[in-house]
Amino acid sequence: MSDVLPWMFLVVAGAAMLGGLGSLWLSLSLGLSDHALGDVRAQLTSDARRALLAEKDALFQELGDVAFEHDAGKLSDQDFNELNEKLRAQARHVLHELDESAEAFRGEAEALIAKRLEDSGENA
Amino acid sequence: MPAFDIPFFGTLILCLILVSASYTMAMAMGAGSGRPHLLPSARWGTYATCAFVLVAVCVLAYAFQVHDFRIRYVARYSDRSMPWWYLIASLWGGQDGSLLWWAFLLSGYTFFATRWLRGRHTELQPWILATLMSILIFFIVLMLFSANPFATYIRTTPGDGEGLNPLLQNYWMAIHPPSLYMGFVGWSVPFAILIAALVTGRLGNEWVRAARLWAMIAWTFLSLGLLLGCLWSYEELGWGGYWAWDPVENASFLPWLVGTAYLHSVLIQERRHMMRVWNVFLLALTFVMTIFGTFLTRSGLIASVHSFARSDIGQYFVWYLGFLIIGIALLMIWRLPKLKADNEIESLVSREFAFLLNNWVLLGMMVFVLIATTFPLLSEWLRGEEVTVGPGFYNKWMVPLGLILLFLAGLGPLVAWRKATGSNLLRAMMFPLGVGVAVAVLQFLFGARLGFPPIVEPTEIYDTATGTILAWTAAVAPGVSFATCSFVLASVGQEFVRGVRVRMRKGEGAFTALVHLVSKGRRRYGGYIVHVGVVFMFIGFTGAAYDVERESALRPGETMAIGSHTIRYDQPRMEADPNKRMIFTDMTLLDDDGKPKGEVAPAKFIYRTHPQMPTTEVAIRSRPAEDVYVIMSTVDPSTRRGTFRVIIRPLVAWIWFGGIVLLLGAILSMWPTARELVREREAAPRSFRFSPATAVVGLAIVVATMLALVGVASAQTDGSSSLHAGSVVINDPVERQLFGRLLCQCGDCERLPLDTCACGWADDKRSEIRESLAAGVDPTKIQESYRAEFGAKALAIPSDKGLDRALWAVPIASMVLAVGLIIMLGRRWQRRGEELQTAATATAPGELRYDSRLDEELERYEEDT
Repeated sequence: MSDVLPWMFLVVAGAAMLGGLGSLWLSLSLGLSDHALGDVRAQLTSDARRALLAEKDALFQELGDVAFEHDAGKLSDQDFNELNEKLRAQARHVLHELDESAEAFRGEAEALIAKRLEDSGENA
Repeated sequence: MPAFDIPFFGTLILCLILVSASYTMAMAMGAGSGRPHLLPSARWGTYATCAFVLVAVCVLAYAFQVHDFRIRYVARYSDRSMPWWYLIASLWGGQDGSLLWWAFLLSGYTFFATRWLRGRHTELQPWILATLMSILIFFIVLMLFSANPFATYIRTTPGDGEGLNPLLQNYWMAIHPPSLYMGFVGWSVPFAILIAALVTGRLGNEWVRAARLWAMIAWTFLSLGLLLGCLWSYEELGWGGYWAWDPVENASFLPWLVGTAYLHSVLIQERRHMMRVWNVFLLALTFVMTIFGTFLTRSGLIASVHSFARSDIGQYFVWYLGFLIIGIALLMIWRLPKLKADNEIESLVSREFAFLLNNWVLLGMMVFVLIATTFPLLSEWLRGEEVTVGPGFYNKWMVPLGLILLFLAGLGPLVAWRKATGSNLLRAMMFPLGVGVAVAVLQFLFGARLGFPPIVEPTEIYDTATGTILAWTAAVAPGVSFATCSFVLASVGQEFVRGVRVRMRKGEGAFTALVHLVSKGRRRYGGYIVHVGVVFMFIGFTGAAYDVERESALRPGETMAIGSHTIRYDQPRMEADPNKRMIFTDMTLLDDDGKPKGEVAPAKFIYRTHPQMPTTEVAIRSRPAEDVYVIMSTVDPSTRRGTFRVIIRPLVAWIWFGGIVLLLGAILSMWPTARELVREREAAPRSFRFSPATAVVGLAIVVATMLALVGVASAQTDGSSSLHAGSVVINDPVERQLFGRLLCQCGDCERLPLDTCACGWADDKRSEIRESLAAGVDPTKIQESYRAEFGAKALAIPSDKGLDRALWAVPIASMVLAVGLIIMLGRRWQRRGEELQTAATATAPGELRYDSRLDEELERYEEDT
């Protein structure tokens, strides 16, 4: 082991050096161009949607927990009803916002479907 | 000697890392300041920087393996006789290398965080990368200007190295520092996410969710590191304990305390959109504490047994800490309007308020430890007097706080979120309280007979009313602790039973219900399992109140009795390997009939490179009820007569078992849900996606299994001979109390009290003091004359008057003030909460149509998770 180990370290160092220099080169070329701009913009849009989905998950989790705590006898009926309704109102609002955010893509999606149908019609 | 110039190449790589990290930071900041097309460039720059750090580590590791003693660090921490695994451990065995190791782990975290960020948090991402790069830059600058691991000797190159400190030639050393560093460095990622949130003003729950997993990973590794540190101390330093409240130990405990407070408090923000300022403060403080801890470890400003890590790099850390604190404060002030809470606490009887109390205790403990750790420095600066704050101070003050925290660990799960009615809470508490009281009564009746009386003999650290109160608090603590442990176990058990019952009402069998309960609520039940682990650890800590110790000089064939054990000394035995000579003393544990029931072999190791530092190997026979801990103090080669110190340590094994349970709970709580994994695949179906949770789970399982398999039954190296070369005999409680307050002043045994220190100087001093006691001199007078002779620093615990009193008065005052503030604010929040409640969230008419869809989605969610 002690004979092989130094060479192993050298090989890993060499590979890391090559990888590092390659990544640096890629970084410089990307920095000098603006090809990636479209990707970043699309990402920003999906980020907003992802945040809403996370919010929805958190609310669903909380609704489940409140129901569980009520079933386990930790919450009285009155407290449960109050909390449950409040959380449901928030969840409805998030579902509404999710639909709104999807609305922006509706036109684009419809156009893509129409194009696909048209293409498949031509092929047929 | 290798043909190419490793020192020059290594330094060149460090420069390359600095350039690459600075360039990446500039690109990332550009991307965050309105030029988003620079983001991919910053990401690739990050990968490049991480790769260069890997090159630097590999080059240093290569230098160790080929014994390139041109490099000062290699020559100081290795020699030709060391096996390859210790040559690898030498990478972090000294100051300069451990800084490179810090940078390496940071780059590892950065690499995986960058992979994870792909397609996520696009607005936060540039600032996360910039912050991580800035931290890396600090460590690289530190290495280049003050602690270069590739620095060479100015004159001749030595033919062989000095070798790794014998204390560090131990298998725990191979995993304890990396794990602890993983914990320290791990907090960089959540901190970077926090800074990104503050800079961009995206201070909702997005950053909290992004930071959650990384904070859990860091906390788990920090816990593991602390646990392994305890094991190392128990087996390696050989004084019989596992935690000495050494400044370097405290340095790793501080971020753990604040980080634990954060992990509890952040749940309130996730659930209730509250406590935003507080969570920002806690996370920032956790990171600052990791840097402060590294500063304490590295600067050597405060006397510590970890003296192998002293240097002059403290000033860099002071500047960096100053920069961090001012920067964070300014960012927080700037973003204060965006940190306003959406909700208020609705009841003082709620999980939220229990978490606030938990934060209060944890931060109170942090303030105590912080002030006590830095008090020697403060005292020297303020009044020019050196003082020492020994373990006795911490042990007395931390016990009541720890017990309050333990009680809250049992109370928290019983209280509902938002609001719990008094009657509900009382009903929930009946069973756990009943169990706690029952255990207290049973211990009162039968404890003494079983060797575990509920009240132990009080020992005072002060001759004042405070000292008496503390002594009695500690005296009743074992009984209170066992009762509280039972309360918490019953409380957690009850939560599982209640949960299973709820599921069983839906038609599930008991086992299926349990499996579903845990799998669908991993975070909640993982947290409960962590609490169970903490309980087991407390059981182990409590066992320290029942330690029995005895010292005997034996000839081969003679026996000594201690507790329920008889130990026979059989013979000395000599062995050798290329690295060291080893003198073992074979001993046999006998049962009541005189038949062997186990063997132990305490030893002395004399390392080739450190002949002046023979180490004492302790032998430990570990069982759930107690450990038999045997130290060979001396052995005479001509007469074969040996002096042995034996300590019976009840329940210690529960600490390690509790640690494993705690780790398993932590792993369970961060195990990715099927839903999360599906989303990962949806996000990038064709490419490899890094799942940090899976990675940490794998790593933690490996380490936990290792802990379980290795156990603690093997003999390990003791501390250096300068710490424990002789023997200690304590005749009565008066001696124990007095010796515990006086520190050895031989010059080598820093921070060791006379009731522990085994050097010759301490032995002479003990004899001298015994003569005074026999002559009827009051122990207080003896203590005063000791102080007059050697100064205030010779006392293990500062006095209870003047500025010394600030040591406990300041934390207590701040805790009282804080609890008053919490209750006052809680009431105000409660009033506002009630007002908000009456003006409940209004639903827009258009949103009512989502009601049935909500039910459908909720049902699907329940099935998916």
